[in-house]
This record gives sequence, structure tokens and C-alpha cells, in this order.
Amino acid sequence: MNSKVPLFILLFLTLLIGCQREKAVDFNTDIKPIINKKCISCHGGVKKNGGFSFLFESEALGNTEEGSPAIIPGNSQKSRLIQRLKEKDLDLRMPFEKPALSEEELNLFTKWIDQGAKWGTHWAYITPKKEELPKIKNDSIQHFIKSPVDQFIASKMEVQQLSPNTPAKKNILARRVAFDITGLPPEERHFNAFMEDEISYENFIDSLLNQKTYGEKWASWWLDLARYADTKGYEADRGRSIWQYRDWVINALNTNLSFDQFTIDQLAGDLLPNPKAANLIATAFHRNTMTNDEGGTSNEEFRTAAVIDRVNTTFDVWQSTTMSCVQCHSHPYDPIHHDEYYKMMAFFNNTRDEDTTDEEPNLRTYNAEDTKSITDLLEWIALYGDDITKKSYEDFLNFNEPKYHLHACENVSKGTLITDGKRLGLWNKGSAYLRNVDTRGGTRLILEFNYPKSGSQITIRNGGPSGSILSQFKLPTTNSKNGNYGEIISVPFKALNTKVDLYIEAQNNSLSKPREYIGILNWVAFLPELPGKSKIKYPAIEKSFTTLINSKTTRTPILVENPSFMKRETRFFERGNWQMPLDTVASDVPSILNDWDMEWDKNRLGLAKWLVSDANPLTSRTVVNRIWYQIFGRGIVSTIEDMGTQSEPPTHPALLDWMAVHFMEDQQWDLKALIKSIVMTATYQQSSAIDEYKYRLDPNNIFYSRGPKLRLQAEEIRDQALAVSGLLSPKMGGMGVMPPQPDGIWEHRYLGNLWKESIGEDRYRRAIYTYLKRTSPYPSLLTFDAGSREVCLVQRLPTNTPLQALVTLNDPVFLEAAFHLAKSEMTASDIDGAIRSIYYKATYSEIKSESLEVLRNLYQAALIEFTENPEALEQFLDIKSTTLHHAALTMVANAIMNLDEFLTHA
Amino acid sequence: MNDIEKKLLNEYVLNQASINSRRHFLKDCTLGLGGIAFGSLLKSCAPSGSPNLFGGERTLNPLAPLSPPKLPKVKNVIYLHMVGAPSQLEMFDYKPELHKLHDQLCPESLLKGKKFAFIQGVPKMLGPQAKFTQAGASGNWISDNLPHFKKVIDDVAFLKAVNTDQFNHGPAQLLMHTGSARFGRPSLGSWATYGLGSENQNLPGFVVLTSGGTPDAGKSVWGSGFLPSVYQGIQCRSKGDPVLYIKDPKGVSRNLKRELLSSINEINYQEFKAQEDPEILTRINQYEMAYRMQITVPEVMDIENEPESVQKMYGVTPGKESFANNCLLARKMVSSGVRFVQLYDWGWDSHGDSPANAVDLGLRNKCKEIDRPITALLLDLKQRGLLDETLVVWGAEFGRTPMQENREGRDMGYKGRDHHGDAFTMWMAGGGIKKGVVHGQTDDIGYTAVEGKVSVHDINATILHLLGFDHEEFTYDFQGRPFRLTDVEGNIIREILS
Repeated sequence: MNSKVPLFILLFLTLLIGCQREKAVDFNTDIKPIINKKCISCHGGVKKNGGFSFLFESEALGNTEEGSPAIIPGNSQKSRLIQRLKEKDLDLRMPFEKPALSEEELNLFTKWIDQGAKWGTHWAYITPKKEELPKIKNDSIQHFIKSPVDQFIASKMEVQQLSPNTPAKKNILARRVAFDITGLPPEERHFNAFMEDEISYENFIDSLLNQKTYGEKWASWWLDLARYADTKGYEADRGRSIWQYRDWVINALNTNLSFDQFTIDQLAGDLLPNPKAANLIATAFHRNTMTNDEGGTSNEEFRTAAVIDRVNTTFDVWQSTTMSCVQCHSHPYDPIHHDEYYKMMAFFNNTRDEDTTDEEPNLRTYNAEDTKSITDLLEWIALYGDDITKKSYEDFLNFNEPKYHLHACENVSKGTLITDGKRLGLWNKGSAYLRNVDTRGGTRLILEFNYPKSGSQITIRNGGPSGSILSQFKLPTTNSKNGNYGEIISVPFKALNTKVDLYIEAQNNSLSKPREYIGILNWVAFLPELPGKSKIKYPAIEKSFTTLINSKTTRTPILVENPSFMKRETRFFERGNWQMPLDTVASDVPSILNDWDMEWDKNRLGLAKWLVSDANPLTSRTVVNRIWYQIFGRGIVSTIEDMGTQSEPPTHPALLDWMAVHFMEDQQWDLKALIKSIVMTATYQQSSAIDEYKYRLDPNNIFYSRGPKLRLQAEEIRDQALAVSGLLSPKMGGMGVMPPQPDGIWEHRYLGNLWKESIGEDRYRRAIYTYLKRTSPYPSLLTFDAGSREVCLVQRLPTNTPLQALVTLNDPVFLEAAFHLAKSEMTASDIDGAIRSIYYKATYSEIKSESLEVLRNLYQAALIEFTENPEALEQFLDIKSTTLHHAALTMVANAIMNLDEFLTHA
Repeated sequence: MNDIEKKLLNEYVLNQASINSRRHFLKDCTLGLGGIAFGSLLKSCAPSGSPNLFGGERTLNPLAPLSPPKLPKVKNVIYLHMVGAPSQLEMFDYKPELHKLHDQLCPESLLKGKKFAFIQGVPKMLGPQAKFTQAGASGNWISDNLPHFKKVIDDVAFLKAVNTDQFNHGPAQLLMHTGSARFGRPSLGSWATYGLGSENQNLPGFVVLTSGGTPDAGKSVWGSGFLPSVYQGIQCRSKGDPVLYIKDPKGVSRNLKRELLSSINEINYQEFKAQEDPEILTRINQYEMAYRMQITVPEVMDIENEPESVQKMYGVTPGKESFANNCLLARKMVSSGVRFVQLYDWGWDSHGDSPANAVDLGLRNKCKEIDRPITALLLDLKQRGLLDETLVVWGAEFGRTPMQENREGRDMGYKGRDHHGDAFTMWMAGGGIKKGVVHGQTDDIGYTAVEGKVSVHDINATILHLLGFDHEEFTYDFQGRPFRLTDVEGNIIREILS
């Protein structure tokens, strides 16, 4: 054995030298990084100076402005690229006005060209393959491994000469994993069962995953991506009713809807055959875009802005790709063409929403009684009419579509498009045209309107003032029961089978003030005749329909695809400017990614299937990387928002690919299984202690030789305080709640203070249910790095600031929690015992004697303070009849709730 | 090199030296931990590697002061933003020709291809609703709405042809302060604190003061976008706690609070000794800073104890929320080392839909509200020698039309003007700014720029330049690419630099 070692080394060295001599220059690892750093800003997707760009192979090897290629594969000497890199004349030398390339970089370029200038595809655009598990030599490390994931981690650790930490103490691990799965500290009973070995670690995890609190925890992660908020954003930032979507996400996570179906429902639930209400609510994902109500804004501009946001968000969320760059030009460094942006946009550009104030289309959720009436009505139609009629009525009752918004009116005379929200306001004898309307032969006109003046008559004519009358009716002035929404009426309409321009006339001679509106007209829709006219029950059925469409419902903005007769064309915008449309484009996906399966429809449903196809190189990698980030506080690709060519290379590429394939093939997109497989690893279960050696070698723990220690997330900070003090309400779902916050945070100049403090248990709900106003999010959550959700947020940057200390020290919410935590030990006569017990309840650890000493001193200092100053005790936290003992213990609890150990999971 | 430049150069050199020797670092590290042995602590306190924005002392204190890459002209910025967009035609841009066209229908040529927020059809022209005079040695024009400002007119450089492509409040405010009309980018003040840190560790580095209401675009105009949230603006309020949660809870004395803080830090330090996690030291440091802020912030926010002469000079009303109070606060903040003070004053949206929004009524009152305080601010900074190291910027999200607004085709009842971004007025004063100059000119009716047109990005490039940054080099990597405040545009406005 001994004699073979030198021989082996010799052989190895020879091989190594040989390899280096012959080594092929690799485009991805050797050339692309130089290009990205030094060339691409002038020769890429934005600028293409001299007609030369490195973005695509065809451009790099094609003719430049000089009429010939700058790179001649196989011949570096003749390649102008090399000449210009070596040029002595500084006016010509590249990189222009920047330092020259190093000798080594020049050599790489030269060799690369001489070897044939072979182009390469960036790793993230190649479908992942399941890598083989690496071999581990070191026995002690071998011993550490509990799962295939550990094997990849251990193999890198071995190379770095790092060895894993010992496992974390059971109580620490239990608290850590409880936070990572449920966002809360473990329940006492459950924790004790684990501590006393009544249940295994795996059982402990399984039962955490089965708790409803799991969905509430992981929903925060998804809602950041979905940019979920309870307001519309922009100027007035008025409220929006979209909480059913938040509850859908929590429920989908809890029922463990597989990630592929989770994707399809959200992007295209409306396009599924016979979608259920839940499928439609899921599409609210892309209705979380902002709506602009500001007076004077163009609805089409902000509709376009919303569609653009949908394209960008889809790529941010599923593809770790910054598509937003491509709106104005080809991607600066990723191989995505400018026109491909608009092909993507074409998928999203055909939904019914038009930035209207009421955020139509809304799914209307009826109460039980109304739901029964709808069933009766639809049964009636099925009995006396046809399927098409039934479907028309069903859709209309569900989401009031298809309809024409009257903000599209033209040639308004004696009237105006009302600036705020763009609806039609006509004066006496006023008129307007609604052009190119397809009434589909409908014999019923449905109109929504507000503020009708008594005696106002509307006449609708075919084509113009002298056209035949299609409908004529008076606006009723009865009060609608429709909440803040307008009244909806259904009136007879003359059937037409071609597209028409509707001429809308208004008359009300009784109006005395000039320019007084006869009423405000919002939208029109057309339906076929309600069948069964000759039947006795017909009038009741007809009345039921009118009652139903005006009934008060919970509304949730959803996606509804344009019917074929309302299709929009999508155009390429010059430099991303919506006011400069050029040629029309058809929907398609970027050519650098997986191919389109011809079996898919070229719509959002097909797009969703494309994203979750096994061939898509980015979706599974993205999910795995981001779940990993949530648990370890860093991604395998550390730039978790981007896996493009400028991203950080993965620290463990083989692991990333192995997990990505495992997630699709073996785990079948099962998120709970993925999370479980991560927290079951030995890597995760390590202690998080750092020693100097490891800190020096790997300060950021990129090789995972210690367990994760994360500062709790904003929501967790609040939820934990409420949980350990026994205040937390277990109530799930429903409209956003408004727990106490300081006065004056929310004051809007003309809307006033709209923060109506919740009462009862709604003050103590989990943070996920806190009403989120985009322009003024809940302050203590914001301080702990939660976002304002105006746009998709992939990564919260954790910070550590004095303002955070002020929250946990002084926010009444946290003091109330401290007071209640102390209360539980009120009867204890032994102070040390009380402190010990509070400490244990908060941290799940036994207090160390030196810490106990510190807290005992604090208790005594507080006791003296309150004894000497009875007034302070009287005022203490505004809580009457506090005892000395309770107040002093509250200070102790407040201290404990500010410890590093409490604010992090170790 | 003049004195102020020498002073700045000195500070620059000192700052660099201190970063290298990590003196700040040790000082911060030791605060509040007196008596504890520092052997192992120091080792972890000073991670290896060159100082950069996220290495070294920034780990412990993300607001530790840093030197800009280039010699700065100023250390601090006070930015006065008039929310709603005041009419330049009644304040700074003198247009006698517009008088002659008053009440005439607007020529079609001016309307062709233009989009307005509210104007529909053909509006009438509206002559200037204020008298103008020339003032100061510079003889620059100014309206009688601003009598006090004449005293300082020779200190400012006017930009008379600022251009923005946004004509709705929210997006235009975002563009002005974040370089993008859409949400998600860091604000100018966050860029400044990210790049420079703060001179005073007992106060926030980026303070926001509002009067009358929050800007339309909400808190995003002082948000940190993709920068760490520690760089976002901190709103200091005149009502309630000046900074959220800064007051000790009821019944908890300072003594007891000190006791509480020491207990927390002591146990955290025990934890550090066991775990050796440097993040725990950061936490100890943050708690000490919080304790100090609790004293310093209320002190600096207290204007009642300012000398009466100063109170009078600004026209403050202690205890109320006012622009005058905020101007005085801005001066106090800057003299205490706050890097960036952003003022927002609400109520300038003169559409003519009410007396308060009329260019001949409400606008005059708004001018009155700001005239004395702004003048006082400039004079006060000057007399304290602070104007040379402070940049004062005055502006809004856009300007207003020379046409009278006719919303929904109707007569508005009062004289008002619509939003207009093609050409409007801003001014700057302070270190590095040429005094008494006018850059840019609009046509005879103040509708479009005829020369010296500058963009929002030009303004931000200039501000960054004065702070010592090359706006093209000052970037932050996000989503795999470097982002800058000025996106891919921006030219320094050299014409107004001294």
C-alpha cells in the first residue's frame, strides 16, 4: 500500500497537467462570466454597439456593422474580437474606456475561439437530471448521514475539511421545527410527548404538518409572492375584498394540493372544464395587481400595467427569471428576446378586468338561501331552455360577465365620462356611442347604474340618433340592496345578430340644474330570453333573477377570459411604452425554455401546464430552492429571485438538481413531503453553535456544517408573543382584522382614519389575518421586514435594527403579552420558581443559573422601583389594580421576550 | 480649495482611516458592555475582508458612517416636496404673455397629441394669478406670493424646465423619489443612507416629516425597495410618539428601563459566549442604540425649548403639525447629523374645484405657509455655517398647465390648473450649488421647455453627485443585475454647480 501512494500521486499529477494542457475552455464557466462582467453592458440585450452582441450565439457569430463577423471560430488571430481586445490604440481597445482584460482572460478568449467558439447553455435552462449520490470517504462524516440530501451536503463538507456539528438538543430542535412548520412554538402536550420519547421525531413532524397552523405559516411565504393585500394600492389605496383568496391559499396548503395543481388553479382555474368556486377564487392570484382609482388616470394604462405585472410576477414566482427587463429591450444578459415578452403578455392580455373601480369581474358568493334560488332558477332554465342559455345565466349570476363597461363610450354629448372611475354620466338630452358591440342575439339588456334621478328615460338605438329603437326604459329609483354597488336592471332588448354601435340617449326634462346627471351608467350586458314564458311560475322566476343579481354577496376579483367575440389583440410596445404599439403578436413561451406541447391550448391553461411540465428546467428548481431558503435562511442558489446567467452559481448544484427531480418524480409536487424531507435531514437537525474555526472557514454557513438559526419572521414574532402568553386566538379565515396600532398611522387626507380597531378575539388573531393596507402596512410587522406587497416579493431581507427593539420593548401588544405571561405565575410564592417557569414557557429551555441571577436582580430592582414610586405602579401599562409582584414579574417577562433566544430559533 | 471643501476633505480622510482601523467598530461593540472581558469578542467582532457595504462593521451596525467614493460637496440633504404640485406660474415662472391670452380658447396645436389628467375638449388659457417682481442682486423674477423668499433668492439656483413623463400624483411622486413610476424601488433617501450611513447613531439616518397628510403614493416614496429595510425613511411625527414605540410604557421609569436593557444585554452576552454567534452582538448593539434613541429623538423633536427668536423666525406653532415646525426640525436634525431629511407638505393640488384649490385663493395661503419657514431655514442654515454642507431641494411631482382646468368639460367654479409635467420649476440651494442662477427656460406661456430641459433622473444624478457618488456607479445588485437610482438615464446638471 505504502509504495503505491507515491505512484498514485505521480500518476494523478501527470494526469492533472495533461488535463490542463488539453482542457477545453467551457463557455459557461470560463467565458460567460467575463462577458457578463466586462462586455455585456455595451454588447448585450440593451446596447448592441457596433452591431455586435454576446447575448445570442447567432448575434455573436454573425456579421457586425463592419459587414463581417467579429468571431471566427477556430481562428483567434483573424477574429476582430481578439484584435480589439489586444489593441494598443486606446480609442479602439475593448472594453472601451475600461481597463484591458487580464492576460489570463485574454488567453481564455483566444483558446475558446481556437477551440471552435463553442456556445453553451446556462445550467438553469437545461432540464435537471437526477444526479448520482456522491461517495463519502470519511467514516465519521458517513455516520452523520440520515438522508440522500445529507450525502450531498456531507460530500461538500468533506472537501472543505469541515465536519458537522453535533445534533441540537431535543428541546431546541422541537422549537425550531415547530416554527419552521407551523410558525408557532410547539404545543405543550405535543412537546412533552416528544421530549419524553413517547413519539419519535418523525411522528412529531407529521403531526406538525397535520396542524391547520401549517397552512397559516406557509401562506405568508406564498402571499408575499402573490402580492396579496387588502387594498388596491395607488393613490387613495381603498379597500379590496379579496380575503377569500388568502383563505384559499391557507386551505390549499393544509389540504396539501400538489404544487402543479396549485399552479394551474391560480393561473388558469377559470379555464378548467366546469370550474368550481374554489378554482375561480384561486385565480385571484393575478387579481392582486393594483387598481388605480385616482381621478384622471387612464383605465387602459393601468389595465396594461396590471397585465405587465402578471407577466413579471409569473416569471418571478415560477421561473426565477427577471422578465421585467425584457419589457423595454431584449434581456440585458439572459437569452430572452424582446418580442418574447409580448408573446408572454399575449397569454395574460385577454381577461375581462379593465381597471374599473369595482374591480370587475368579481366572483359573487351568495348566502345559502340565494344559492338555493340560483339552483331553482338554473333548473328552470334547463327544463324549458337549452344548455347555452343555462350557461349564460349561470356565468352571469356567478360573475356578471360578459359585459361592456361604459367607460369605453365615445362621442359623449351633453354628458361626460366621469373622471373618477370612468363611468358614463349623461345630462338631459345627452347621448353617447358604445361601438362595436356584440349582443349575441340577446333579448335582455342588463344595466348597472347609480344615483338615478326620478323620471330619467334611457333610449338605446341602432347605430345613431335616427336608428331604430332597441330598448327604451325608465331608470327605477328604488334603493338597491347591493351594498356600495350600483343597481342592476334587466329590460327587453331587440334581438340583433350582427355587431352594432349602440347609441345611448338620456332624457329627463324635469332636471332644472344645468349639467345635472340623469344617473350614472356603469355597464351593460346582454342575455338570451329567460325560457318558459308561458308557464304560470314564470313571473316568480323572472323576479327571482332580478332579486338575485341585486343581492348582497361577498365579492372576490377573479380572472375571466374574454369570450372569442371580445378578444383583444396583443401588440409589441416600442421600448415598453404602452402608447407606442407596433405589430400584433401571438402568445408563445421563450424559446430558450422547454418546448410547447401541441396538445395544450395556447392560453393561460396551457401556460400553466407548460410551467409544471417535467421538462421545464426552472419551476421545480425554483420551488426547491425557495423552500430550502425558508428553512435554512439561504438558497442553494443564493440569489433566490434569479437563476439567470448573472445569478450566483449554486453552492450544491448536484443537490439542487437531485431535489428538483425528486420533487417532481418521487414526491409528485407534494409540498409537505418536500418540507418534511428537508427537516428530517441530519443537516437540519444539527446544533447551530458556531466555533471560531468554523466561523473563519465558513462565516455564512454555506456548507451547512452547523444547523440553521434564523431570526423569527415578522408574523412569528407577533404570533409567538401571543401564543406563549395564552392570548392567541385560534380562529381561522375571514376578512382582515385590525389589532391595535398607534393612532394616526392610517390617516388619509380625505378618507380619514379607517383603522377600526377590532374587538374581542379579533385583536389576538395570527398576523396573517391582519388587514394589509399597501400604503400603510401594520407598523410592527413592517419593522420586522414584512413587505407592503405592492409587487411580488421573493425575499424578505432580514435586518436587525433599533426600531425592532423599540417594538418588542414598548409596543403595547408585546407588553400585554408579557403581562399575561407573568399572570400565569402570579400565585408562585417562590420568585426563582416563577422566573424559571416563565422562562421555560417562553423559550422551551431551562434557565441557566447566571441568567436567573440577572432576572432575579431585575425583579428586585422593579420591586424597589414600584415600592418607592406607587404612582408608577398605579399607571403601570394602564392596567388598574396591578400588584407589585405582578408588575415586577411583567418586567421580567418583558426582558425574556426580548432575548436573542426568544427572537430567533436556534 | 475653500474652507468648507477642506473641512469635507478632512472628514473624508478621517472617515476612511477610521474604517481601516475599525475604531468605530470597537467603540460600538463595547458600548453597554463595560466590565466584560473582550478577548473572544473582538475576534468575532472583526471579520476578515476589506471594508465594504455589507462586510465589517456594517454587520454590527448597518448605519455605520461610510465615506462616499468621491469627494462630496455636501453631507446632508433637506428635500422639500410640495405634494399635489404647486403652480410654477404663480410662484417662479413669470409669463407676461400668458396674461394677454387670458380667457381665450387654447389653440388646437397645444392640445394635439397631449394627454391631460382632467382637461377635456378645448380649455381656455388662464393668465398668471399673481404679480411678479425682480428681486435680489440676481434680479431673478418672483411672485408677490413669496415676499420673504426675496431675501434668499440670490442663494438658490432655479431649474425652470424640469420635465417628467408622469401626470398622476402617485406615479409621479414615485418617479421623483425612487426613479421609477412603479412600486418596488428604493427612495433617494434610502440610497443616501445605504451609501453613507448615519453620522449620529442615536437618531435615524433618514427622517421623514409630513404636514397636512401623507403623499398620494404612500410610504413607498420613502421606502427602501430592495435595499435592506434599515435604510427606509423613518417618519417622525408631531402628534403622538415622534417615532413609533419610542416612549417607555406607562409606569416604567428610565431607571427601570436601564435595568431592563442591562438585563437583556447581559443574558444575550451570556448566550453569545455559549454560541459565539456574532449576530447576538449586533442585537446587543441595536438595543443600546434603541435606548439612546429614546432620549435623543424626543430631544431633537422638541421645538418648544428653542429660543423665541428662532421660533418667530420660522413661525412655528409647537405641538401642532405644520410645515414651519418641520422646517425648524429639519435644521435641528441636520445639525445633529441626520443624513437625509425629507419634508412633504400636502395641499398644492390647485384644480380650481374649491377655494382652497384655487390658484388665486388657496394657493396664496399655501405660499404664505411655506414662505417664511423656507426663508428662515435657508438663513438659519447659513448663519450656522451649515448651508455649505447641506443641500436644500425644493420641488414637487410636476407642475401645472397654463390652461384653466375644465374637468368633465365643465367650468370649475374657481380658477385652477391641471397637472402638467412638460415643464415646471424646482430649485436647489447649498453646498456645491451656484448662487442666483437660472437654468432652463420655458416658452412664452410656460407650457414647454425651450432650453435647459432637465429630467427627474438628471435631478437625482445631481443630488447623488453632490453627496459624492457617481450615479452610474452607485448600484445595488438585485435579481441578478445592478440597479441604480437613475435607471439607465440621468446627466449631472453642471450648469447649476459652483
